[in-house]
Amino acid sequence: MTTLRRLPVTAYSLWLASPLAIAMLLFFLAPLGVLGVVSFYGDAAMTQWGTLAQWQKMFDAFGLMVLADTLWLGIQVTLLSLVLGYALAWVFVRTPTSLQPLIIFIVMLPLLTSVVVRTFAWIVVLGRQGIINSALLDLGWIDTPLKLLYTRWGLVVALANVQLPLMVLPLINSLQKIDRNLSDASASLGASEWQTFRKITLPLSMPGIIAGSLLTFAAAITAFISQSLIGGGQMLFMPMYLYQQASALSNYPFAAAISLTFLATVIVCVSALNRLGSLSRWRAA
Amino acid sequence: MTSRRKLIQTGLTLGAMHLFPGMSQAQAKRLVFATFTGSWEEAHRAVLVPAFRAATKSEIVLDPMLSVDQIAKVSAARNNPPIDIMLHDPGPALTAIGQGLTEDYPVAQSKYYKDLIPEAQEGTGPAVFFQVVGLTYNPDKIKTAPSSWRDLWKPEFKGRVGITNLNSTLGTGFLVEISRMFGGSESNVEAGFKALNDLKPNLAAVAANPGALAALFQQGQIDISPGNFNAIQILKARGVPVEFVTPKEGAIAFKTTIHVVKNSPNRDLAIALIEAAMSPEVQSKLMASPFLIVPTNTKVKIAGEVAKVLAKDHDDMKKRFVFQDWKKINEQRAQWIERFNREIRL
Repeated sequence: MTTLRRLPVTAYSLWLASPLAIAMLLFFLAPLGVLGVVSFYGDAAMTQWGTLAQWQKMFDAFGLMVLADTLWLGIQVTLLSLVLGYALAWVFVRTPTSLQPLIIFIVMLPLLTSVVVRTFAWIVVLGRQGIINSALLDLGWIDTPLKLLYTRWGLVVALANVQLPLMVLPLINSLQKIDRNLSDASASLGASEWQTFRKITLPLSMPGIIAGSLLTFAAAITAFISQSLIGGGQMLFMPMYLYQQASALSNYPFAAAISLTFLATVIVCVSALNRLGSLSRWRAA
Repeated sequence: MTSRRKLIQTGLTLGAMHLFPGMSQAQAKRLVFATFTGSWEEAHRAVLVPAFRAATKSEIVLDPMLSVDQIAKVSAARNNPPIDIMLHDPGPALTAIGQGLTEDYPVAQSKYYKDLIPEAQEGTGPAVFFQVVGLTYNPDKIKTAPSSWRDLWKPEFKGRVGITNLNSTLGTGFLVEISRMFGGSESNVEAGFKALNDLKPNLAAVAANPGALAALFQQGQIDISPGNFNAIQILKARGVPVEFVTPKEGAIAFKTTIHVVKNSPNRDLAIALIEAAMSPEVQSKLMASPFLIVPTNTKVKIAGEVAKVLAKDHDDMKKRFVFQDWKKINEQRAQWIERFNREIRL
């Protein structure tokens, strides 16, 4: 009789998760709640509570422009990483298995270096006396050094490099799962290589594309160090806007409004991509 | 109802004290001095800490952090502050004083306070050194040394000038200085913004902070910029071709002030540390190479690189240094930063 009432061996009581739940509540949700309360102060000294002034300021034309520009930066970086990462993952699955660990090692290498170091390396690459400019000058293709550092494109390229592993790993994972016989079958039915890629490989690798894009996008828009060191002080993205208000001005109410807006936007973007991901999985199945 | 709430409160407090015994034993804490990170920490560890230990036979902990973090940590625990002594640039100092986080310095009992140059005598917390901002340039690329802030606008420096944004003391101080040069003041930077807009063709970089700006000399990204005397010395020591000159309009001097934190359990020791920081012995050592920190005590005989590049003596200092009124600057700084965000985009 008693054996029937026993839970299956794989089921654990939810109570085991309670320390984690309490930790989340105390150290994550409670501070978020405090941020929410602080954002309704009208002034930096936090004396008048209960106004929407900070939120109105966040959603004025300038605030929205900064938010949109930050998201646009994320999209640019994600697209570039996707193009580079897809090619890399494609090469990987077609490499003999004996060489694959080497490629994985090279892909992982940037993850083993600190972001600050990678960012400084890009300053050396893009600077006026950097590798690119010296090479172009030596080849005689340009007369004066090009301005690469502190430009939008310099920033996008550097961020794409820094976040590339986050894109490549999920892509490799999903490309490896695709049965090679499918492309053979497609070719034997008379499809061109391009048609096979578009109709077979691309849809089947969609979960990897979505997972990689999600990680890259979230990492690119929040990359405060790379954005400020390579983009410079004249580009304003949400992380710098937040830092400026909190750090230089001690305007905590406005900083709170910025951070909550940014958090909400990231959550919306990420869940939208996730939703796309589950749709594509459903279609692929 | 109230009595039950009180009971719960008391219960929680007792529970917390039981969990964190340190909360009730604050008086046994070691003295904590929040200095700045980087070369300031090195200098204070090498000179100020030994002097303090010799004078008091007490222990001290250096906990280097940015001004904003000092303010955040102290204001989060006003009754039992984790820091006993704060070090601030002029802007954050006013914020800390305004929030009531500091205690006035006991000036009357001080041995060294009266020897400080008048600009450094601040009752809320004396200035123990000056940070000086002048023109910095790469002597390999620019053969004739610049002599005036106006040189930054010269057409030959197209695409070679670096500045920082207004988040830093340096950036804001620079804006105020060029405003004054073009007819403005600490409360009117209209002329300064116009000048910044005119400077755009020459700008190679608007760095996010002074450290990033100085590093750009190393990359050859910029050849001339407003720069901090001490930041440049660090680069020079590493062989980067960079020189500092005092512009003829005067170098901008920021007072770096030191403050006893209100409710510090180590008040007497904190005062002893500040006395040591003002003493001519400590300030002379800090002025020597490799630290080259500009002294505020008039009993210090100015020598070495500081004498050569900045000022021969304290009278010369008054002539060659420009002090800004940060009370006025702080009133409008938020608007200026906002305006800079909107207008200075390359």
